[in-house]
Amino acid sequence: MSPYAEAVLLQVGINVLLALGYWIAVSTGKYSFGHAAFMAIGAYAASILTLNFAWPLPVAMLVAAVVAAVAGAVIGWMALRLSLLYLAIITFIFGQLVELLFAQWDYVGGATGMIGMTGTTLTLVYSSIAVVVVYLVLLTRSRLGLAYAAIREDERAATASGLRITRIAVGAFAASAAVTGVAGALAAHQLMIITPSLFGPQQALLIILYCVLGGVQYFWGAAVGAIVLSVLPIWFEWLNDWYMIVYGLLFVVLMIVRPQGLIGRSERSGGGPLLRRLRRDGAVAVEREREPVG
Amino acid sequence: MSPLAELLRVTAVTKRFQGVEALADIDLAVQEGTVHGVVGPNGAGKTTLLNVMSGYVRPDAGRIELAGRDITRLTPQLRVPLGLVRTFQNIRLYGGLTVLENVLLGQHTRARTGLRSLWPFPTPQERALRAEAEAALELFELAPYRSRRAAELPYGLQKQLEMARAMAARPRVLLLDEPAAGMTTDGRHALVERLHELRGQGLTIVVVEHDMDVIAKVCDHVTVLNFGRTLTEGPPAVVLAGDEVRTAYLGT
Repeated sequence: MSPYAEAVLLQVGINVLLALGYWIAVSTGKYSFGHAAFMAIGAYAASILTLNFAWPLPVAMLVAAVVAAVAGAVIGWMALRLSLLYLAIITFIFGQLVELLFAQWDYVGGATGMIGMTGTTLTLVYSSIAVVVVYLVLLTRSRLGLAYAAIREDERAATASGLRITRIAVGAFAASAAVTGVAGALAAHQLMIITPSLFGPQQALLIILYCVLGGVQYFWGAAVGAIVLSVLPIWFEWLNDWYMIVYGLLFVVLMIVRPQGLIGRSERSGGGPLLRRLRRDGAVAVEREREPVG
Repeated sequence: MSPLAELLRVTAVTKRFQGVEALADIDLAVQEGTVHGVVGPNGAGKTTLLNVMSGYVRPDAGRIELAGRDITRLTPQLRVPLGLVRTFQNIRLYGGLTVLENVLLGQHTRARTGLRSLWPFPTPQERALRAEAEAALELFELAPYRSRRAAELPYGLQKQLEMARAMAARPRVLLLDEPAAGMTTDGRHALVERLHELRGQGLTIVVVEHDMDVIAKVCDHVTVLNFGRTLTEGPPAVVLAGDEVRTAYLGT
């Protein structure tokens, strides 16, 4: 395999891992805007261990998962009880904070970051994906996965069924952070050089876009989103700086035509989504006109 | 356990919303195995009382006891495993999930639901619960809609599903918030029969309801609320014929 093809496959694999990890949190209906921070935590934790303590990468990855999970649990515990808006704000600020923290920390090179990490192989990346996929298949068939879905659907109904919502959501958030941390560790050992700014809002947004583009209904939808969004820049290389604009347009079109993402069924049935929505809005308008006055 | 033990007890409960007393010093005792109706005009505090019983509203004063245990400070989630389960006036189902999944979620507190539930081979307990859920679908006439999304069901069936889900928790006390609201005449008949059936199985039921016909047919005991106070209580035949109720509803 050419080094170029290998690099592409590594990149795609890591992004799939990011998307799958994010999907775990999203399956409870909670959107984080700072998941790049867990990636950073995993990346730095693993890099410290491999560079400064000469640990083997697979072991460092496991530690990265645990450290990221703990961070996820702490943030989740603080933010998941609040409304979605506060969750978005707190996770975003957390992301900024982590970036800033690593930039100030001399031990990890401050703003210049760390350099010299190697060891990410296709085997390592794709066996990580395999483990996560097995976990997700079992999860979505289990009562725990059902509880995640219940929380996403209706929290009030979930409390009436006796679900301890915060506890369940925090668990999901921690698992999500763990997978994201592993992806971060793998990314660091592929890039060979990491700086805090790699894990800024742009990366956080990318992770969200993988899921939203692919569709959040099934986990493999998120994986498809990650693959498409990782390969598109390669296809559209000739666009140079214009590709962000093309991306933006693509997303706008997609959100109109398929608001549920590439994968997944529509919430309503019959006709195309856009057509249906136009029709429905029309129907509502007619209904309003018919309403008796007074 | 004597058949007429007090299963659910509300003592001196007061709740104010921005200075307005929604509940003022309410006492209420629900005997085990009975159907206890709560009636009253709009704004009388019926739903607030139900919310206090189920834990969705914390009272400013007073206590709630379930089988002698003080549960006043427990969250709704923690009351469910003790046997206190409710339905909502505006049905709250997991609309995007299937009918079966809704019932399975009703069993949440009785099942293994943590990471261990990921184990792909069901335990005997899990198999029993699944069989029970299927049986519940038969019982509530929902079996043909087993794999349909709950949001697609017609209104009457949604109400039935909500009750099936509540029953899946194996409650000792079932709290129903206006189960007859929006039902057709046939639906009401079926509801009355269903409540008789459940009572026959020994279930204790508290029902908040506007429909006096339903109340008269199913209740052993009725409490009438008005302006957050207990107006009168007793057997439905006596209470519903009394002047207080007419006064409360008609205002004269």
